[in-house]
Amino acid sequence: MLKSKDLTKRFGSLVAVDGVTLEMEPGHVYAMLGPNGSGKTTWMKIAAGLMKPTSGTMTFMNEPVGVSSRAQVAYMSTEPYFYAWMTVKDVGQYYADFFRDFSMEKFESNLKTMELEKTMKTKSLSSGMAAKLKIAVTMARDARVYMLDEPFNGIDLLARDEIRACILREATDDKLLILSSHLVEEVEAIADWSVFIRKGKLVEMRDNEEMRQTDHVSVADRYREIYGHMEVQEA
Amino acid sequence: MMPLLKYEIRKTWSTKLMVLGIVAVEELAFLCSLYLMGQNVDNWLMALSTSLLVMTTIGGILFIGISSVVTLHRDMNTKQGYMLYMTPRNSYQILGAKMMENGLSIVLAGAFFFALGTLDITLLFGRMGELGKLWEFVTDILRQINSDLELSAEMMMYLVANALASWLATVSVAYLADIISSALLNGKKFNGILTFVLFILLTALLSWLQRSLVPAGSPFTTLALIDTAVALAYSVVMYVLSALVMEKYLSV
Amino acid sequence: MHEGDEALNFDPMIPIWAQVADTIQKQIVSGSIHPGDKLPGGRDLALTYSINPNTAARIYQELERKGICITRRGMGTYVTEDGEKIAQLRREMAENAVRSFLEEMSGLGLDWHDAVKMIEEEEDNLAEK
Repeated sequence: MLKSKDLTKRFGSLVAVDGVTLEMEPGHVYAMLGPNGSGKTTWMKIAAGLMKPTSGTMTFMNEPVGVSSRAQVAYMSTEPYFYAWMTVKDVGQYYADFFRDFSMEKFESNLKTMELEKTMKTKSLSSGMAAKLKIAVTMARDARVYMLDEPFNGIDLLARDEIRACILREATDDKLLILSSHLVEEVEAIADWSVFIRKGKLVEMRDNEEMRQTDHVSVADRYREIYGHMEVQEA
Repeated sequence: MMPLLKYEIRKTWSTKLMVLGIVAVEELAFLCSLYLMGQNVDNWLMALSTSLLVMTTIGGILFIGISSVVTLHRDMNTKQGYMLYMTPRNSYQILGAKMMENGLSIVLAGAFFFALGTLDITLLFGRMGELGKLWEFVTDILRQINSDLELSAEMMMYLVANALASWLATVSVAYLADIISSALLNGKKFNGILTFVLFILLTALLSWLQRSLVPAGSPFTTLALIDTAVALAYSVVMYVLSALVMEKYLSV
Repeated sequence: MHEGDEALNFDPMIPIWAQVADTIQKQIVSGSIHPGDKLPGGRDLALTYSINPNTAARIYQELERKGICITRRGMGTYVTEDGEKIAQLRREMAENAVRSFLEEMSGLGLDWHDAVKMIEEEEDNLAEK
């Protein structure tokens, strides 16, 4: 459904994404793993149609990503991006104005479970509340693809279950979910595939349960194997 | 398109309210000074409020255009741009909404200031009585300098339309320069200087076109009309080029 | 039940489906889930345990394979009403528990005689209390 082929993105001399070829299918939750700066965010922004690749292609349903894919791909960036003048209600209205798949009822019910008020100003939200609002509004869309960049960043331990439930509710057979995280434990149980990215390159894509069963390693163990010596090298 | 326009209006709303607020205070001061006119006092308020109103008229319209360029710049270079570029809208629509909002604002602001100016002058002459003859005196002089020049409301309208269209064209040149800067020159050396040079060159090109397309010795109205038409056409060309570059190269 | 309340502290080295299946089997054997009871749908199971829906589906596949659950088309998944099957499951789970207990004991240098003796002592201790 979502496919990147030899995808490369350079920023000056920095290669953020380096020849990544992979394909993701609906009915699965993929965890994109890697330390900060390994290229997960850039890959997602290209998939969201926000960034243009330097070379290679990114396709959604065999069409290059762009305006029409944006109608079916829900992207949540890790940084807050709402306009400063907006209230929580304005954010919902904005999504309702632009996305046909947005459900106001779902948004309101998400707000309720996350204890957010419609009258709150986005400017004065705590970082945890802002993070919750991003999830609440993104998951209120009925998209084909959801890409959440670091959905657990800034979220209180107690609220993480709510977030997980909010994400899992949309994990149906016809939808593709991609979560990026540098906190492996947070996504270990909800993702069924892990995509390991290291310095812009795809290391491997693994079926999590298969990895536990045949290799007797956890996702976290594999993560340490892949990135552990890198940190030693760099230290 | 409508939602895009709605949010472009919302984004620049505070700027306009500010200009309106300032104008309201100045107008109030002007009305007070009108009232004081007959009272044989040193009417410094009149001089102050009139000059402030004139300055705000020019400044306000410039400010509206500049703030529109600043909004575009923010939408391309800060996180709030995700909000805009994650919507299923292409660059022609996104930029179109911005141009339309800006064009409408400039025209409406122009019309507003023109109406206010006319009103204030009428009020002033009404109050001046005898002194109202001053206006005829000024137009007489102008007529003597150039027989074509008739300082009429019609002519003022031509002038205003021309100024507004030229300003709109200048803003659209700024759009293109800023989009090229954000999409193609981002992170490159001399980005700022190159962008500035591009802006100057494109503005100069507009002036050159305006001058060279008007036949020599044309009457004032023809000149103003061609000037306005060239500026508007130039804005459209800038818009298409801007959207093209944005669609193909911009990464937010 | 509140969503996510059951979220286990999974052992990340063991497949999650096996761990949740184990928990459900214990509930069946202990009687907190009765024979013939309807089990939550796969999606609800995923939400209850905060796990991937495919993992949840796998759990029922495994339980069905063992004959502990039956999926009726369009109706949902039910615990078997076959008492013999449940008794057999109880026996298997108990055997596994004994086996791992004895392994643990032998790791401490104790044979099964010592183990039996210690169990009897522990029983007396509990009775006194």
